[in-house]
Amino acid sequence: MSAPTTATPPGGVGEVVHDAPARGRILPRPVTGQEVVLVVVIAALWLVLGLATPAFFTSGSIIPLLVSMSPIALIGVGMTIVIITGGIDVSVGSIVMVSAVVTAQALVDHGLSLPVAVLLSVLVGGVLGLVNGVLIAYGRVQAIIITFGTLNLFKFVGLQFFGSSTVEGIPATFAFFGRGEAGRTLGIPHSFLIMLVVATAAWFYLRHTAGGRHFYAIGGDAVAARLAGVAVRRRSLIAYVLTGLLSGLAACFVIAQGTTSLAASVGSGTELAVIAAVVIGGTSITGGRGSVLGTVLGALLVQTVTTGVTQLGWQSQLSDLFVGLFIVVAVGADLVRQRSRRTS
Amino acid sequence: MKAAHYKSVVAGVGLALVLTGCGQGSGGSASGGDSGGESGGPTIAFVPKLQGIPYFEAMNAGGQAACEELGCTWLYQGPVEADAAAQADIVRSFIQQGVDVLFVAPNDPDSMAPLLQEAEDAGIKVGTTDTDAPDSVREVFVNQATAEGIGQALTDQIVDAMGGTGRYAIVSCGETAENLNSWIDVQREYTASQYPDVTLTDVVYAGEDQAAATQMATDLLNADPTLTGLVGECTSAAPGVAQAVQDAGRVGQVFTVGLGTPRSMADYLANGSSSASVLWNVQNLGYLTAWAGLQLSDDAGFEASNDVSSDLSGVEYDDSSKTLLLGPPLVITTENVGDFDY
Repeated sequence: MSAPTTATPPGGVGEVVHDAPARGRILPRPVTGQEVVLVVVIAALWLVLGLATPAFFTSGSIIPLLVSMSPIALIGVGMTIVIITGGIDVSVGSIVMVSAVVTAQALVDHGLSLPVAVLLSVLVGGVLGLVNGVLIAYGRVQAIIITFGTLNLFKFVGLQFFGSSTVEGIPATFAFFGRGEAGRTLGIPHSFLIMLVVATAAWFYLRHTAGGRHFYAIGGDAVAARLAGVAVRRRSLIAYVLTGLLSGLAACFVIAQGTTSLAASVGSGTELAVIAAVVIGGTSITGGRGSVLGTVLGALLVQTVTTGVTQLGWQSQLSDLFVGLFIVVAVGADLVRQRSRRTS
Repeated sequence: MKAAHYKSVVAGVGLALVLTGCGQGSGGSASGGDSGGESGGPTIAFVPKLQGIPYFEAMNAGGQAACEELGCTWLYQGPVEADAAAQADIVRSFIQQGVDVLFVAPNDPDSMAPLLQEAEDAGIKVGTTDTDAPDSVREVFVNQATAEGIGQALTDQIVDAMGGTGRYAIVSCGETAENLNSWIDVQREYTASQYPDVTLTDVVYAGEDQAAATQMATDLLNADPTLTGLVGECTSAAPGVAQAVQDAGRVGQVFTVGLGTPRSMADYLANGSSSASVLWNVQNLGYLTAWAGLQLSDDAGFEASNDVSSDLSGVEYDDSSKTLLLGPPLVITTENVGDFDY
């Protein structure tokens, strides 16, 4: 039985899995080169911003930044796994919209408690993710086509809930996830902490368990993976359901970051922000390679740029320029890596 | 077993019918159709920039009410997104239907102009409302407020809240939104000329995203601790800037005003994070649009000052620009916010 060697980049000096055979599978390095570069870039940006605008390093500035990046990074965890399997999910923005409107309306009408509201939102997201997963894993249609379809379908469903109006007077139940005083413990924002826990768990699972490595095998070569005994369909299904669940949780964060009213534009464009974070984080858009850590750093970088541009008093459109450049550079670096591997 | 099979087929057909019905609903006529059909009179169609937002729904309600009172048939259909091409399709379908009067709030004034020509050629009276298409054959533009009116009211309100001195910044939405930019230009000039102790520091653009508007307002507050005023230039930024002040725990130190719909601003006005909202009476704008449509259809023309209804007296008409002006902007505070249901 051949190991999913496609999933292991060259030069991986990492440790050997304990129960692996002697000639065993070699894990990639715990931190990739791209991630090191990202950390350096973010550190440099923070330093420059700290010098340029003294207010940058105050908690009043850093906390909102961390809160703001959390929903993108959280969905990014699921999206990373989906993209590692060679798929993509462009419907996450609509999933956020449906989860947010259902939950916000329930909060207004029934005054749900925090745990119940979170559960509702996560469940709605999970159901929509299941629709994607079943269609892609068992319908054997390309993921971009299916999720492009469900992007519109889910949006239609969401618009029915909005019913030509907005949701007004949302209670402050979700202040627990917000950027205000109620949203942090010991100075650390809850939404960021939750995202970090989820990302760490996913990072460990993807890296250190056989099940996790299977996702890479599918993205590397789905046929080979199936022949090697990987449950390709089930794994794909899990990836999309997980992305749906996390989008549902992210919808709670989005409500918390917004105002007491919710408009139908909620979630629109989220898919692009998430995919940008994943790609900047070094995950290969063709599948088989990538890491959750990179995605979290990618989301942090994008939000740092947006915040930086605003705080420096530059034109807002410059943040689009910078994010665009980061994406191009990140994809370029990925291509260079792939070519050098092929020729080596 | 056969019966069960038959039942499922019936159910299937029923479901298909329901789905088709839904599909048509999504395409457009949210509340249009034959609502005023029996009242006779001319048919007035209104195509908003997009349907399903409270702003245009309120305009629709106003137009509908006018047609019930004055005797006309009011049709309302718009695209699901603010998209010029989708809007053009709807305009074409109204031309096909041969309505008597057609009002449009164009997403793209330039590409709408030839369609309005087409409508006129088909014998339809055409007008614009909410947003103008200046280089078109439209016979009237129903203007909610002048750029000066909105820009000056926003400036007066924020300066008043700040106590006549200090620095303020603007969170706007689309960078290319012409009406927002024209208000911002007025604010710049008016602030400089009227309030020498007040500085407009910065204008940022958040798109139509509430969370982004709130985050950008937070960033502005952090970048400049001496900032004491924020203006939310559109309906998503107006509650956003107030929320940012509330989250930062600086209610009473930093003041906000915005262009927000009454219901979305009610909570913020109540807790003091927003001092005032500047808007116009959207329902009256719809009413005035329907009334203008009737005048067009009757070839009645407009006076320099028109008494439209008990609510709308002395509506000014400017013959050189063929523009009806709803009136001065409406300032919404805790006093009157409860009077509106949108």
